[in-house]
Amino acid sequence: MPDLSAPGPGRSGVIHDLGYRHFDGVREGSGAIARTLFTTGLRHAYGLGRSGKSKVMPFLLLAMSLLPATIVVGVVVLTGLADLPVSYADYTNQTQLLVSLFAAAQAPVLFSRDLRHRSIVLYLARPLSSHVFALVRWLSLTVAILLFTAIPTTVLYAGAMLAGLDKSDQTTDLLKALVLQVLLAMLVAGVSGLISSISLRRGFAVVGSVMALIVLTGIVTVVQNIAWYEADSETVPVAVGLLSPWSLVNGLANSWDAGVDTVVPVDGAWVPAYAIIAVLLVAGCLLGLVARFQKVGSR
Amino acid sequence: MNAGMMNATIAKLALQALLGRRRFYLLLAFPVLLIGLVVLITALTDGDAAYGVLPNLGFPLVLPLVAILAASSVLGPEVDDGSIVYLLSKPVNRYGVAISKWVVALAATLVAGALPILVAALITGDSTRAVALFVAAAVAGTAYSALFLAISAVTRHAVIASLMFVLIWEGLLGNLFSGIAWLSIGQWGLRIGHAISDELPDPASLPYAVVASLVVTVVGVWFAGDRLRSFSLRGEA
Repeated sequence: MPDLSAPGPGRSGVIHDLGYRHFDGVREGSGAIARTLFTTGLRHAYGLGRSGKSKVMPFLLLAMSLLPATIVVGVVVLTGLADLPVSYADYTNQTQLLVSLFAAAQAPVLFSRDLRHRSIVLYLARPLSSHVFALVRWLSLTVAILLFTAIPTTVLYAGAMLAGLDKSDQTTDLLKALVLQVLLAMLVAGVSGLISSISLRRGFAVVGSVMALIVLTGIVTVVQNIAWYEADSETVPVAVGLLSPWSLVNGLANSWDAGVDTVVPVDGAWVPAYAIIAVLLVAGCLLGLVARFQKVGSR
Repeated sequence: MNAGMMNATIAKLALQALLGRRRFYLLLAFPVLLIGLVVLITALTDGDAAYGVLPNLGFPLVLPLVAILAASSVLGPEVDDGSIVYLLSKPVNRYGVAISKWVVALAATLVAGALPILVAALITGDSTRAVALFVAAAVAGTAYSALFLAISAVTRHAVIASLMFVLIWEGLLGNLFSGIAWLSIGQWGLRIGHAISDELPDPASLPYAVVASLVVTVVGVWFAGDRLRSFSLRGEA
């Protein structure tokens, strides 16, 4: 009678020896499971390893956000402009509609499907805890969104280098933009992931994410403009900017001199306030995700 | 449209799919947000500042989003999980199914999308302008709901496809190229509203706007019925 599940001394493998065929390979631990889950999640966010139809939407959106960058590069190279007409950080801001749509469309792929089809129980039957599962999923989506924003900026940078623009200036601007993109990706992935894990019908998850990312930002912009131009207030526009992920990142970009214009400059004590709220928002979303997956996993 | 094609049971089921449980609150959030924002700004500023919310946010964003939510949730979940075959196996005319579902989506769009725009516009004063905007929203909402129903019958990614039409085609590109007004449902609605109040923009010719809205509505619902007639189940991968 073969020993069914006893791993060797000091090992916690989960490859069961059912007596048909032995496994002599390396038994990797939870780290390997988490790494594989991360890579698979990242690939699925772009439809890789899924059906052809699943690839259409992410790559269509990526192509749309790349198109203006290639046009800008073409103009800069051909006309010999001394500077890019749009800063790296502002390019992400100008294409925010596409970034938000990408997040809203792909977050349900990573967060809704396992819960809706209850395949989550199969994942959680492995040694990976529900906490780690939720965090790894979030990391996949964060990196997917980061790539979505970083690829067009890299194309812009390559164009700027080809056109012979000042290397140190451009590199500083690019690095600033990349740091802001990391923060943005963490925020957007947290918000859209949390919404998709709560609202399991794809349509509602998408509309919910669109409300949180696009409608909310629209409201913030309208209120900021009205408060500044009609009511002549400086405090209200800056304070309202704390309310949406995009205005948070743009406010920080403005205070950091990364080439993004806001209605009212963000400075003084508002800068730490923006940073703290952004970090709290990410932490809150992660806590929400962990709690959500723990609840679903214990059912 | 033939009223005899309406099927009360299908309409009732579609209404339940639309309003069941938490979904109702998501739909309710739009009018509450819009009216709340307008009330807040009216209270805090003088002059006509609050009206700016409607052409910038209410009409181009909230109205189509409500239409997307309504149209996709009367048909989307059934297509998504395949349970539409049980409905299609019943001896009911497929166009009747499409019309019944469209009527529910239309009613939801008008109540949660167009009506709040009227209320919000009335709060900002100038009742002629408010009525004009309401007519514009009602016309655009009708065409939107038919178009989005047709998209829902074609693809599982209906919500994203509809959002791309509204946000990228009508919004982003529409702001860059004025010619897109000729192919933009929102602009047709505004043109019809312009006939009532000059405060609304005048992007296209009136007869064209009327005919185009009508054609999109009729063809959209007919096409949704036609897709249901030749519906085939496919797995998701």
